[in-house]
Amino acid sequence: MTATPLLKVTDLAIEFSTPQGRVRAVDGISFDVYENETLGIVGESGCGKTVTGLSLLGLIPSPPGRIAAGSIELAGRNLAKLDEAAMREVRGGEISMIFQEPMTALNPVFTVASQMTDVIIRHKGLTRAQARREAIDMLGKVGIPAPARRLDDYPHQMSGGMRQRVMIAMALACGPKLLVADEPTTALDVTTQAQVIELIGQLQREFRMAVILITHDLGVVAETCQRALVMYCGRIAEQAQIEPLFRSPRHPYTHGLLDSIPRIRDQRLTQLPTIAGRVPDLLNLPPGCRFADRCTRAQEDCRTAEPELTQAGQSAFACYHPIGHQPAEPVA
Amino acid sequence: MELLQFSVRKLIAGVPLVIGVTLISFLLMVYFGPDKTFDLLGKNPTAEQIAEVREQLGYNKPFLVRYGEYVRELVTFNFGASESTGEPVTSLLARTIPVSVALALPGFILGNLLGVALGLLAAYYRGGLADKFIMGSAAIGMSISFLIVIIAFQIIFSSSFGLNLFPVRGWDVNSIGDYVSYVTVPTLATVFVALGYNTRFYRSVIVEEMSRDHVRTARAFGVPPAPLFYKLILKNALIPIITRIMFSIPVIIISGSLLLEQYFGIPGVGKATYDAIVTGDQPVLKAVVALTAILLVIVQLLTDILYRAVDPRVSLK
Repeated sequence: MTATPLLKVTDLAIEFSTPQGRVRAVDGISFDVYENETLGIVGESGCGKTVTGLSLLGLIPSPPGRIAAGSIELAGRNLAKLDEAAMREVRGGEISMIFQEPMTALNPVFTVASQMTDVIIRHKGLTRAQARREAIDMLGKVGIPAPARRLDDYPHQMSGGMRQRVMIAMALACGPKLLVADEPTTALDVTTQAQVIELIGQLQREFRMAVILITHDLGVVAETCQRALVMYCGRIAEQAQIEPLFRSPRHPYTHGLLDSIPRIRDQRLTQLPTIAGRVPDLLNLPPGCRFADRCTRAQEDCRTAEPELTQAGQSAFACYHPIGHQPAEPVA
Repeated sequence: MELLQFSVRKLIAGVPLVIGVTLISFLLMVYFGPDKTFDLLGKNPTAEQIAEVREQLGYNKPFLVRYGEYVRELVTFNFGASESTGEPVTSLLARTIPVSVALALPGFILGNLLGVALGLLAAYYRGGLADKFIMGSAAIGMSISFLIVIIAFQIIFSSSFGLNLFPVRGWDVNSIGDYVSYVTVPTLATVFVALGYNTRFYRSVIVEEMSRDHVRTARAFGVPPAPLFYKLILKNALIPIITRIMFSIPVIIISGSLLLEQYFGIPGVGKATYDAIVTGDQPVLKAVVALTAILLVIVQLLTDILYRAVDPRVSLK
C-alpha cells in the first residue's frame, strides 16, 4: 500500500431535498482508496452506498440531491469542486462505473460498437476505425467470444452476463484509475456472478487500477476485497481490513450482518439470526447512535450522543460498546 | 424480402378493418343519414313520385345489396358523381386533397418539429425557469379555443384593425408568393394550438426516457448533454413520437382542417366533406370514409416499418 491514497474522501455529506425536508443520505463519511486496491462498501438497501458511488462521478441527480459538505480528492484534485464539463472528462476516463442492471444499463437502440466507440473516441481522441479496433480488443479481454462479430450486436441480442462483460469492457476501455462497481453481480445468476467477479479481479491486476465494490453480498467482499467499509444509515459503522473484519467484527452491526449469513455446515441451525427492528427514518433520526434501537449492546450513552469513528487496533468503528474489548480476544 | 412479406401480410390484415369501418359508417349513413327524397321532390309529392325517386336513388334496394355496390365502387375506385354538384367524386378528391395537404403541411411539420425541440428544452431544464415558461405557454395554447385563435389571428394579421398583411379568406394560388400569403395565418393558428399539446406530450415522453438506466450509464461515461439528448434519448423516445405523428396523417389528408378551411374559405377536402355531410351527399361521404380507412391501414404499415427502423428489438415477423 502506497503512502498517498489515489482517492481521498473527507467528511462527505450528500443531501436530498424532499417535500418533508432535507435528508442526509450520506452524513460525513471519510475513506481512502489506494492504487491497485479493492475496497468493499457493504450495507443494506438505502444505507447510502450507491449514492456514495454516484457522488464520486458527480452523478448525484441534482436537483434534488447535492454534495452538502466534504471533498472527494482524486490524485490531489477535488472532484466535488469541478464543473460539469471537467467532470465529464473524469467520467469514463479517470473513474468508470458499472451498474447493477446489465439488462437495462446499455442503450437498447444503439449497437455495442456505437456505444463503446463513442466513449473511446471521446476520451482518447482516436478515429472511429482505431476506436473500433480498441473496442474489439477490450471485448476479447473480457472474454466475449468472436468479439469482432459481437461488436455489431445490439444489447438485446446478448445474455445478462455478456452485457455485464460489455459494460466492464466499456468501463475499462479508457484505462481508468478507479472503477466503481455498484452491485455488478446482483442481477446475474450465481455461475455468471463468479465469472464476472473473477474477471474484475483479473482486469484489476492487469490494469493496476483501484476498485470500489459496492455490494450487500458479504461473500463477494470476503473473496475480492482487501478492505471494507460497513455503512449503516448514511454513516460508516466499521472500517477494517477483510481479515479482522470477518474474524473479529467490532461493531455490533457488522457482527449482526455476518451472523445472518447462512452457513452450510451449521446443520443444527433452524432459524437464521436476523437483526431485529428496522432502519430508522432518515428524516427522523434518533439523537444518539443510529443503530441503538436495534442493538443488543446498546446502553444509556448510546442514545444521547452519536459515536465517532475511531481507530482501535486493526479496525475503525463508531461504537461506544464494541464487541471484544481486547483486540486479541478470540471470537466466540 | 422480409419487408415485402411483412407489408403484404399487413395489408391483407387491413382488409377486415376497411370492411368494418365502411360497413358501420354505411349503416349509419343509410339508416340515420339524411333522406334526399324530399329534398328532390319539394312539398306535397305523390306516392308514385316518392316511389320513383327512391327507385332512382336506390333507396328501395336491400341494405346488403347497397353495401355490395359500395364495395364494388371502392374496389374499382369509382364512386360516381356528387349528388349536389354533379362533379365526379374522384375529380372532387383530386382537386381538394392537394389543397388540404398544402394547407395543413407547414403547420403539421412546424408544430411537430417545434414541439419536439421545446419538449427537449423543457425536459433538459426540468423544474427550471425555462421549463416553467415553456410549459406555461403550452398550457395557454391548449386552453384557448381553436376558433378564438383563428378569429383573433385573422383580426391581428389580416384585417385593417391589425397588421393587414395577408388575405383573410380564399385560395387563389398561382405562385409560391400566393401560397405563402394564403397559408401563413392558418399555419400560425395551427402551430399556436398544436404546440401546446405537442410540447406537453413530447416533454413527458422525453422526461420518462431520461430516467432510464442507460441514460445514467451514458452520463457515467461522460456523454455531454447535447448528444445525450439529441442522439441517445431522442432515438429511444422516437417510438411514441412516430406513433403520434403517423396517426395524425390520415386526419390531415382526408378530414383536413375543417375549421381552418371553413373560416379561411379554403376549398379543401375538409370543407368538401363538411358540405357533403350537411347535404347528405352520399357518394362523397362513401369515398371519404373508405379512403380514411385505407389510409389508416397504410399508415399502420408504415408506422410498423418505422418502428423497425428505430428500434432493433422490434421484429417484422
